Amino acid sequence: MTAADWVYGYQHFLNPALAAGYVDPFFDTTIKGADNYSNVDVSSSSAIDSFISGLGLSAPDANTFVIKLQHPAAFFKWVVTLWVAVPIRKDVVEQAAGGTFPSSDTTKPLKWAQSANTIIGNGPYKISEIVSKDHVTLVPNTGYWGGAPHLQKIVENFIEDANTAFAKYQTGDLDMMTVPLADVDVVRNDPVLSKQAKVYPKLTTFWMTFNAQKTPFNNADVRMAFSKSIDRDKLNKQVQHDIQQSILSFIPKGMAGYDTSDKSQSFDATAAKALLTKAGVTAAQLNKFTLLTRNTTRNKTLNQFIIDQWNTNLGLSMQLEVIDSKTVTSRIRKGQFDIYGPDGWGADYPDQQDWYDIFFKNSCHSLNWGCVDLPGYDTLVQKADGELDQNARNKDYNTAQKQLIDSAAVAFIFQDYEYNLIKPYVGNLTITAGDDQSLPGNFYWHDAYITTH
Amino acid sequence: MAVIAGRPKRGALLPSRLTDATNSRIGSLVLYVIRRLLWMIPVVFFVIVITFILMHSAAGSPWDKSGGRQLSQVIVDNLNKKYGLDKPVFQQFLLYIWNVLHFDFGLSYQYQGKSVVELIGGGWPYTATIGTLAFLLIVPIGVGLGVLAALRQNTRVDYATVGFATFSASFPNFVIGSLMIVFFSVLLYKWTGGQFFLPAGGWGLDDHLIMPAVTLALLPIAYTARLTRASTLETIRQDYIRTAWAKGLSERLVVIRHVLKNSLIPVVTTLGPTFAFLVTGSVIVETVFSIPGIGRAFVVAVTSRDYPMILGTTVLFSIIIAAANLVVDVLYVFIDPRVRLT
Repeated sequence: MTAADWVYGYQHFLNPALAAGYVDPFFDTTIKGADNYSNVDVSSSSAIDSFISGLGLSAPDANTFVIKLQHPAAFFKWVVTLWVAVPIRKDVVEQAAGGTFPSSDTTKPLKWAQSANTIIGNGPYKISEIVSKDHVTLVPNTGYWGGAPHLQKIVENFIEDANTAFAKYQTGDLDMMTVPLADVDVVRNDPVLSKQAKVYPKLTTFWMTFNAQKTPFNNADVRMAFSKSIDRDKLNKQVQHDIQQSILSFIPKGMAGYDTSDKSQSFDATAAKALLTKAGVTAAQLNKFTLLTRNTTRNKTLNQFIIDQWNTNLGLSMQLEVIDSKTVTSRIRKGQFDIYGPDGWGADYPDQQDWYDIFFKNSCHSLNWGCVDLPGYDTLVQKADGELDQNARNKDYNTAQKQLIDSAAVAFIFQDYEYNLIKPYVGNLTITAGDDQSLPGNFYWHDAYITTH
Repeated sequence: MAVIAGRPKRGALLPSRLTDATNSRIGSLVLYVIRRLLWMIPVVFFVIVITFILMHSAAGSPWDKSGGRQLSQVIVDNLNKKYGLDKPVFQQFLLYIWNVLHFDFGLSYQYQGKSVVELIGGGWPYTATIGTLAFLLIVPIGVGLGVLAALRQNTRVDYATVGFATFSASFPNFVIGSLMIVFFSVLLYKWTGGQFFLPAGGWGLDDHLIMPAVTLALLPIAYTARLTRASTLETIRQDYIRTAWAKGLSERLVVIRHVLKNSLIPVVTTLGPTFAFLVTGSVIVETVFSIPGIGRAFVVAVTSRDYPMILGTTVLFSIIIAAANLVVDVLYVFIDPRVRLT
């Protein structure tokens, strides 16, 4: 591997014709020349070539990869750790494609990633087998810079039904798994399994979104009344088997910016009712609204509890609206909802810059589903994004977080935790707070080993 | 010589060798099969039309995500260009038909870079294996139990059979599948210290097949048993059966030669669609037992609006169902001498 492979890897995913999902907004707003990404004519190879050759990417020698940015970006050190930012060997891509291809070709450049023989990387393990929708087998990469890992084989199974995975774990077919919520108490009450359980936080926060373009949810007092009428601890105990962590703020535990000092959204049914009275909103006005819910078991259970809280604590009789997931997304994109949830965010990388742009004005109908009006917020966050001094950044982000909490832009509910079972013979496995991608980011597999058992 | 006006006699326009063939029973059967196979073309065409309209009417785009950062408009536009979704729907339809005529079913949206043919070709062997195994259980067990129950009507055997059929038909297969996993995998593993148990899921051409095949077969076994029982009860009360008994024929001869031949006609009618149902996959069984078949792939394709996969699997299912019905119609000729295929 040489620096030229890094340049080719970046040029590969920044080819607009391939429409790679994670390019925007991580790379195209930061790498020099990449801001023209959206104006390239994807049917013209010469236009694509011209765009790619104009990017601030170079390899002055075999060991140096240079990325020029168009503005200061303290967070970019994390962006380059994303799984899309990897070296790719041009000769392997072309070999898999059956020869060279024009830059506008949208299918041949993907062939290399379809086969275990050609999907190569630079990590401690390499893929030796891909059985679509069943499993992927990893074996040690003997050329890894940090030395070959201990485990001789890792098989990652795709198991859709968590109960099946639980049964396979109990019969020795799996060495580790995430326990489905319904089985958490079974594990806790089992003398053997309970000793194998590991709980660790995920860098994920969940919240309820109010459509701030609709009256009365454009009124911060109404949003705060709803926020303050959810007993989050009861939700955690009764619905989430006491695994998740109640939260009243935006940034989750495990990241810079985690701050629990602002308790404006804390549960207080009396104060919540007073806020509704202050806003001059009656139960009859609110009862016509619904809580839009994706039709998964977890969402339905959670939302049933939350709507019961609102109905009980605010004296309402609101209803759930359960719809298939794609339809929900198409509706929230168009602003066709009253309240939607649980919505949330999982860190792509542990920098606050990845979080705060969600509530930008221009993210309305994109991630800022509620389109809440936050005066001065965008300018403050953009200032923090461009700062190089981490303390100054933290201060600005913290002010922005306070604005989100105090205006009840959304009602923060809980931080997600993962409840895993790991066999006692799996040794030296380092687990960190999980980011958006469950595997293999959370586990440092290089040093793990299996003891005699 | 009198000339009869009106429609020409069947086969009158065919070459003489074919005309001769139509006069024989096998010849007419061959022509019938060819005609039915040709009829499958408009059937599949209308299935595509209806599926195309329905899937484009469903809200949501293939590029919408259920959570996290949504794709930006420029990436969505480029993806639409890549997959031809930027064209008017009617043009997309014509293009799809044109491609299908060239056996090109397009690329999946979910599994980028993979063709629909590749995905279905990869998943269907799993589904077909489980489905065929389940079918092999249904015929002997379902028919056997049904005949036995009818011949021993109002005895313990009959009650047990009807009880089993009612139980199997009443329990949804995700309950049966999950209970089987708990009993035959988890508990058996504990009781035998890991010496004997069935795998809880996953794929393998070994004991991995037992629980999924049995789970998939239970409902059709119950249905077939009840249908066979009812049909056999009706047949054994016929005069010619009484005659057969009166002639002093053995029970084996009466049952196999006289009763079954007639009582199985309605059963065969249902076995065709049952076979088609089994080999097109059960999303529940494939999910519970973690089998990477096309039953699950079809449902995932629908929920993720993977249009080419939805169309590809629907076309495959319609061909299988049409073919299974054709096989049943042809089987009638051999089972029931009164049936003439025209």
